[in-house]
Amino acid sequence: MSHIDLKIILQDTVSNGYGDLVTRPTGKAVRGGVEEALAGLDGEQTAIIDFSAVRCLDISCADEIVGKLLLQYGAARLFLLYGVTASHCDSIEQVLERHRLAVVARDRDGKIQVLGPVAEPARRAFGILSDRGPAAPEEVATELAVGPDVARRALEELRTLRLVLQASDRYTAVTA
Amino acid sequence: MTRVVEVPAHFDDRSFDQFAKTFGDPTERRLLFDAHATQWASPYGLVGLLAAGQVAAEQGPERPQLTIPADRDVAHYWGRAGFFEHAKEWFEIHGKVPRVAAAHSSDVLLAITPVRGTDDVHSVVETIQERSAAILSGELGLEATATMGFAMALSEACQNIVEHAGTSGWVAVQAYHWRRRLGRRVVVIAVADAGIGFRRSLEATQAGRFGDRWADATALEAALFQGASRFRDPGRGQGLGGIARYVSRWEGKLSVRSGAARIAIVPEWDDSNPLTDGLPAFPGSQVLMIIPAQQAE
Repeated sequence: MSHIDLKIILQDTVSNGYGDLVTRPTGKAVRGGVEEALAGLDGEQTAIIDFSAVRCLDISCADEIVGKLLLQYGAARLFLLYGVTASHCDSIEQVLERHRLAVVARDRDGKIQVLGPVAEPARRAFGILSDRGPAAPEEVATELAVGPDVARRALEELRTLRLVLQASDRYTAVTA
Repeated sequence: MTRVVEVPAHFDDRSFDQFAKTFGDPTERRLLFDAHATQWASPYGLVGLLAAGQVAAEQGPERPQLTIPADRDVAHYWGRAGFFEHAKEWFEIHGKVPRVAAAHSSDVLLAITPVRGTDDVHSVVETIQERSAAILSGELGLEATATMGFAMALSEACQNIVEHAGTSGWVAVQAYHWRRRLGRRVVVIAVADAGIGFRRSLEATQAGRFGDRWADATALEAALFQGASRFRDPGRGQGLGGIARYVSRWEGKLSVRSGAARIAIVPEWDDSNPLTDGLPAFPGSQVLMIIPAQQAE
C-alpha cells in the first residue's frame, strides 16, 4: 500500500499557502499530482489517498479528485480514502451518488466505511469483512442471518465495486 | 437627465424586487441611487447594490451616482461591512463616507469581498473557517462538523460566479439576531454578481430540453433540482445541490434569484414561495443562504 498525501500534493501543485481542497481548478491540479504518484506504484498496490491534513473539501474538488480518479482508474486499481472527516464524506458521497461509484474510507478515528450508493446487504457484508477479516460467503451469510445466495450477491456487488478482493472462495475487505 | 433609483429604507432580500423594479433599464439615462433614507441594509442588499452599480457603470451613459445613508450609524455600518471600499469603483459617491475600515467585528464574519477567481475562493474559505467556527458551534448550536460544511457551501456559491457569471461578483457573511422575523440568531451568506445569469449560462446545453418553456425559472429549476450545467462533463452541476443539502440539514434557507425568477429551499420558519416567476428583471445572480441557530429538542 502507498500513501498519497493530498496536502503535500496541494502544496506542490497549487500553492504552499492553501490548506483546503476547494475549487475545480485546484481539484484538477491535485488530481494531476495524484496521477503522477499513481504512475510510480505497482498496479497491485492499494492507493491510499490521504485526507488527514485536508480541512475543507468542496464538492467540485471532490468530483475532480475522487470522482474522476475512480472513473478513470477504479476498474484497475484499489483505492482507499484515509483520514476523512464527516464533512469530507458529505462532499464525497454526493459525488459518488452522481457517478454511481463507491469507495472504502477510513476516518480519523480509524473507523472503516463504504461511501457511495451500495445496497444495504452489501454494506453490512463489508462491515463484517472489515471487522473480522477474510470470510467465505457462508460465514458472511451466518453473520448477516441471510441465505447464502443473498450473501453471495452482496459480496459480488462489493467485488464489482472493487471494495473487496476475492481469493478462491474467500473475500477480503480493502482496508489499511 | 438623471433617473433616481430609490434604495429601500429596509434593504434586504424581501425588498430587493422593489429595488430591481426601480432599477429597470440602466442604459438610457444616468442613474442616481438614492440611499439617503435607508435605515438598514442586509448583506444581500449591499452586494446587490454593488452589482447594480457595476451594471449601470458598464452599460449606462455615465458612472452612476450614489447618495449614502444620511443616518451616521447606518453609513458606519455600511463602512464596516466593506461596502464603500468597493462602491467607489462603480459609483460617484455623494455624502461623507465614514472613515471606517472593513471590520472584523463579531457580526461581520466576512466583509464584502470581491470574487474574481479561484484565489479569491480559497481566501474566502480560509477566512470564514477561522472566523465562523465559534459562532456556528457556540452561538448557533451547530455541530462542530457544520463549520466545514458551511465553508463548502460558501465555496460552491462563490465558484458559481467564477464559473458561470462571466464577470466578477461579491460575497459577504454576517451574523445577527433576527428578533422580529425569527427570534433567533442567524448567519447569512449573500453572493451576487452582475453576470449573464442562469438562463444564458445554461442555454446552450439545456434550452433544447425545455423548448418554449425555457426561461429564468426553468433554468433555475434545472440547476437546483436536476444538477444541470453548461458543461458536458457529467460531474458538473453539483454545487447548488450540495448547498441545498447543507442548508436543509440545518433548517436553513437557500434562495437564488436570476433574471426575473427566484427559486428557494424554504424552511418551516419562512413563508417564501419555492418558485417565483415574473419578477422585475435584474442582471446576474443573487444567492442567499440563511442558517439559523438550532433549537433545543
